[in-house]
Amino acid sequence: MGTPSGEEREVKFLGGASIDGAPVAYIVVLAAVVTALSFIPFSIVMATGGSFPMAQGVYQLVGWVLGPIAGAVASGIGALLGVFIAPQTAGVAPVTVYGAALAAFAAGTMVHGSVRSKWWIIPGVIGVGSILFFFGRALLVNGVSLKAVILGGGGQWFGVLLFVLPTRTIFSRWIASKNIGTVAAGLFLGTWASHAIAHVAQSSITYYMYNWPEEVWMLLAGIVPVEYVARCLIGAVIGTGVIAGLRAIGLVKPTYAIY
Amino acid sequence: MSEIIVALEKVSYKYPRSLDFVLKNIDLTIQKGEFFGVIGPTGAGKTTLCLTMNAVVPQFYGGRFFGHVFVAGLDTLDYPISLLANRVGAVFDDPETQLIATSVENEIAFALENLLVPREEILKRIPHALAAVRLEGTEKKHPAELSGGQKQRLAIAAALAVQPDLLVLDEPTSQLDPVGSQEVFATVRELNKELGMTIIMSSHAAEEMAEYCDRVALLSNGELAAVGKPEEIYSQIERLLANDLRPPQVASTFYLIQQTGIPTGAIPVRMEEGSRYLKEVEEVCTIYPPKDIRQARVHTSEPVLSIKDLKHVYPDGTEALHGVSMDIREGEYVLIIGQNGAGKSTLVKHFLNLLKPTSGSVKVGGVETANLTVSQLARRIGYVAQNPDNQIFNATVGEEVAFALKALKYPPEEVESRTLEGLAAMGLSNVREIHPLALPKGDRARVVIAAILAMKPEMIIFDEPTTGQDYRGAKYILEISRQLHEMGKTIVVITHHLYLMPDYAERVLVMGKGTLLMDAPIREAYHAVELLQSTYLMPPQAVLLAQELGNLTNQSLPKLLTPEELASCFHYSHNGRTP
Repeated sequence: MGTPSGEEREVKFLGGASIDGAPVAYIVVLAAVVTALSFIPFSIVMATGGSFPMAQGVYQLVGWVLGPIAGAVASGIGALLGVFIAPQTAGVAPVTVYGAALAAFAAGTMVHGSVRSKWWIIPGVIGVGSILFFFGRALLVNGVSLKAVILGGGGQWFGVLLFVLPTRTIFSRWIASKNIGTVAAGLFLGTWASHAIAHVAQSSITYYMYNWPEEVWMLLAGIVPVEYVARCLIGAVIGTGVIAGLRAIGLVKPTYAIY
Repeated sequence: MSEIIVALEKVSYKYPRSLDFVLKNIDLTIQKGEFFGVIGPTGAGKTTLCLTMNAVVPQFYGGRFFGHVFVAGLDTLDYPISLLANRVGAVFDDPETQLIATSVENEIAFALENLLVPREEILKRIPHALAAVRLEGTEKKHPAELSGGQKQRLAIAAALAVQPDLLVLDEPTSQLDPVGSQEVFATVRELNKELGMTIIMSSHAAEEMAEYCDRVALLSNGELAAVGKPEEIYSQIERLLANDLRPPQVASTFYLIQQTGIPTGAIPVRMEEGSRYLKEVEEVCTIYPPKDIRQARVHTSEPVLSIKDLKHVYPDGTEALHGVSMDIREGEYVLIIGQNGAGKSTLVKHFLNLLKPTSGSVKVGGVETANLTVSQLARRIGYVAQNPDNQIFNATVGEEVAFALKALKYPPEEVESRTLEGLAAMGLSNVREIHPLALPKGDRARVVIAAILAMKPEMIIFDEPTTGQDYRGAKYILEISRQLHEMGKTIVVITHHLYLMPDYAERVLVMGKGTLLMDAPIREAYHAVELLQSTYLMPPQAVLLAQELGNLTNQSLPKLLTPEELASCFHYSHNGRTP
């Protein structure tokens, strides 16, 4: 065939069955994945009790696949349903839902060279503000030693640092890479960075509620890095499969997806 | 039939990631009340064409779109999919992927609820839709309790309940057994004839499409190659074959007769016309059978698989097998046929030790399968599932082929050498580092077979390998089975597509209601028409024509299987029948 003889038409999705460029069907499916993974605990929660849901490993993935807004909606809805049907991992329910939505939102803002390249400032400010409040309260109000705070909050401040520095865009470039090994590395470190934003935002609230003592901070120093590695592995393993699959089957890509 | 319901004007379309246009300058009009067929090989653009009717293409997929599609006067690019869903009902190939509700009535109500139809109106429409597809009385059933044909009819009912102007069916029978397929064709025909509903159906079922369609469009590489009545399209044998399409066997038979210089007039495309033409042609010909008919080899080697009085009762009490006995010998090519629920899959699962006999014995190489692990059996019997994608889970073709070898702890050098052999045997050496899902479906089946070959099994089972494949894809896989057979492997194939198998199978096991109804060479089995029909299998048209020819001439013709064999019986005699 030479050139098409018909008039070229503007192709647009009519009917509004999408949120911020992500079809509602995708949002529903990924929300269901988050809910399903909420059933599976992967670690105990020090201080406030209960256990972390495995879904924490994929909140970020939802943000990268759907974009910041649709990702936050899917992750938030999935976590909200999880709170009711999997109470063993619910923790402080509103904080869990807030963290799930914020993690996906933060991940979705890890973009480079697009019109939304400044959106990261919102979660960045939330992350830095939360860490100042969280660590400040420990140091100044509760008299926890600096060493305990630095060690016990190590996973969090390291992740926030990765997020606010240009490393953020390096990870997003890796996730968009054609090399699946690079994608996995981007998912691992990207999960660390964006989850840390949500984690400190959550911790600043729960610490205000529970004010755990220095002994717990020291225990966290050993546990939190291991938890982060586990969370990032979950994100990298599931994410690599999901992204490889989505690329292979060629489903329509949400407008703000970064894979 | 004068009002135009669908009009495509200079339509071209390219998916976001495709290199070429999938539809190319299509101009087409479809009249209200027509039963319109769309045929073409895989990749010709049939599904894309169907999806333009409800604007899923391009609104959902994006891409570049040229021209206009009007459905009931609406330009599909100017209206949301939800509005077009009121006008166009769509039914796709796999009923399993279309049913989502927990009861039949909820399934029908689902689309109506989404379209904000009032509750009272929904309650009125459910019985009407069910009656139209003859599913009355199933309202409270879970869709999973329905048979394949019933599920597809439920999908049609759900589309009908919206009261569309147009029903689009994209290969609705490709995943169904013969009974289900007949049910769907009968239902769609009734909707067209009784309710005057416009039907657009794409299908590879040549015999049925020739029988039911008012007009047929032939798509080739995205272009509209021809549009006409079935007798105009399906009689163009060379054109169909050039497009990797299978003509109805009745048409192939008369085309081949014509090629020998015998005047047959037009080429019939329906069985009824074929019977009439057969009589006319027989009157001007001498009929005697070809001398070189291939006879099935008789195998006398030791059985690789031996089954004695096999019975199987599922935990829910269903008696799936009732005392089946048989031997499969080394080097045989065996075809297992029977309707869904006949016990074929249950039988094969016993070969693989995936099910244990309730009583009786299953021996592989003389050893009870109960004493063999699944991994030990995997080294002796390879299994190619209906959908190769379900067996693929590695990131590269090479890893897929090597996976089982590594799992069985073969030394690394042997893993490498066997992987290379498997890849080479299936012509996959140059795609070793490619993701298997990036390959075309036929090639994905070869990946699965390469992985099985690497295990060097004695027997390979192909479970419904031709379901969902077009003619080219089906022949491609069957040619692989022939290649493996020639390599000395024992081959077992399960399929409903009897017309594809005469060139390959030697022996046929006919299953029905959990028993072995017949175990015979293929010629005997295919000509046991009444027995086949008792298990809802339809013999190929060539077999039926051969029997009619035998009756017409009062001759005891050999049991012919193919249009080629049948056509070679005709010898033109200008003066009519001569001794």
